[in-house]
Amino acid sequence: MRMGSRRRHAVAATTLAGVATALLALPATATAHAPLVGRQDIPIPEWLFAWGASLVLIVSFVALTIAWKEPRFEEDRWRAVSERVSGLLVNRATALAAGTLGVLLLALVVYSGLYGTESPDRNFSVTFVFSTFWLGLVVLSTVFGDVFRAFNPWRAIARGVAGVFTLVAGQPAPPPLRYPERLGRWPAVAGIAGFAWFELVYALSGFQAVGLTPHSVAIATLVYSGWTFAGMALFGIDRWLERGEAFSAFFNMFSRLAPLEVREGKLGRRPWLTGTTGWATVPGSVGLVLLVIGMTAFDGASEGLLKEPIGSLERSLEGLGPVAALRLSNTIYLLVAVASVAGIFWAGIAGMHTVRDRGATHSTRDLGRLFAHGFIPIALAYLVAHYFTFFVFLIQAQFTFLLSDPLGDGSDLFGTASSGIDYGLIGTELNWYVQVGALVAGHVLALVLGHDRALKVYGDARTAARSQYWMLAMMVGFTTLGLFLLSVSNA
Amino acid sequence: MIPAILLPLAHVGHWWVYVLYAVPVVIVLGSVAVTLVRDRRGRDRRG
Repeated sequence: MRMGSRRRHAVAATTLAGVATALLALPATATAHAPLVGRQDIPIPEWLFAWGASLVLIVSFVALTIAWKEPRFEEDRWRAVSERVSGLLVNRATALAAGTLGVLLLALVVYSGLYGTESPDRNFSVTFVFSTFWLGLVVLSTVFGDVFRAFNPWRAIARGVAGVFTLVAGQPAPPPLRYPERLGRWPAVAGIAGFAWFELVYALSGFQAVGLTPHSVAIATLVYSGWTFAGMALFGIDRWLERGEAFSAFFNMFSRLAPLEVREGKLGRRPWLTGTTGWATVPGSVGLVLLVIGMTAFDGASEGLLKEPIGSLERSLEGLGPVAALRLSNTIYLLVAVASVAGIFWAGIAGMHTVRDRGATHSTRDLGRLFAHGFIPIALAYLVAHYFTFFVFLIQAQFTFLLSDPLGDGSDLFGTASSGIDYGLIGTELNWYVQVGALVAGHVLALVLGHDRALKVYGDARTAARSQYWMLAMMVGFTTLGLFLLSVSNA
Repeated sequence: MIPAILLPLAHVGHWWVYVLYAVPVVIVLGSVAVTLVRDRRGRDRRG
């Protein structure tokens, strides 16, 4: 009877897999069809991709339920690599070189922002901060681990100052304040929220000569640097970087997906994804991952779905002045987007809470922290889906004309100042498939992480699967929402 | 077969196409609701 049930599940999963594959493979077989809705370059409507993606998730869910009976990610499986390899990559010389490069890049951002051209696309600072740094380090962190820690300019400067102090005073200076544990990562969440507002709201009027200029990027960098140095001075360098520093927390979140981690000066390997399991135990972690998803969703929606409502609100606020009305209306909808993502998350967690766990009494908040790490791949998927073309185009600018002419003053340091961006590098069709692929992969990984955690929390596979129905609903919701937002903004 | 049934749906109109995005979510939430009801009835039967 039991085997029969399993066989039925297997047959159902295989059938669903076939249908899902057929749906996602349709473009290859249906190229003779005329364009239908929205985009002119894919042969089936975009909503059908959402159906196909949902089917992939359902198949993955069924497969996990059948084949994944024991938690595999809960055990710490970090193992140090050989001393030789570790010593080659992680040593004082590489730390000094990486820190120095980080400081030089920080200085270049500030200098080019203050003294370079006011044209945002010809100035090193804007492209570096919003593309190379913000997005490029996400990619590097996901593959190689927490590389930002090595290149973090604020850490390098603070460690240098602390080293000099220790030499002079003969002892290290203890931090005057103890970091309040309940603050967790909330200061970092506030920092990322500030960055999101700066990028998505303040920057909006940039090309109307009042908002985001290289000068404002430089000033914001200086202000944030002051805030970071104050945090490190008050609570200690490592403590503030672990909890309060926004970019350290942001890149560290993605580094948890990576198979590499440095612990106590030694490089080690671990299976992909396993670094995520302990991440969300610190307060504020749920807020951080939801904020990243929400801000990316807003960026997509503001170009499509929310364009009209934002415009309407802006017109009703015109009495405040055009720039204030624009910023206030976008701020309100940014908050709405983040609140909506949080609402979906907490609704799913509340649903999960209705499933009885054996003996354990997890509150809804506890469950949120227990399952939030599964949303890191979704945050990554949203970033890839939304910024793929933006990143590929701007990274060309970064390593061609902005490298040779960072100030935009006509210099040609490396002979690449006359090179430009090849906008034909990525077609809209390839972009769409990357977007769909990223969203599907991110949500499948989220299901895997959620299922693995549920096996630990709920004890037996059946109850775990029951709890994960809610996770499946959330994943299907986020995937279709992501594809919907992309299709509207692409249209 | 599937394209023959589904593709014409794309022509029903701009606004309706957006509703189609919600279909998978509705199906999954519906199956969650059915499972919950079945579980509750099962528990009630067992007393």
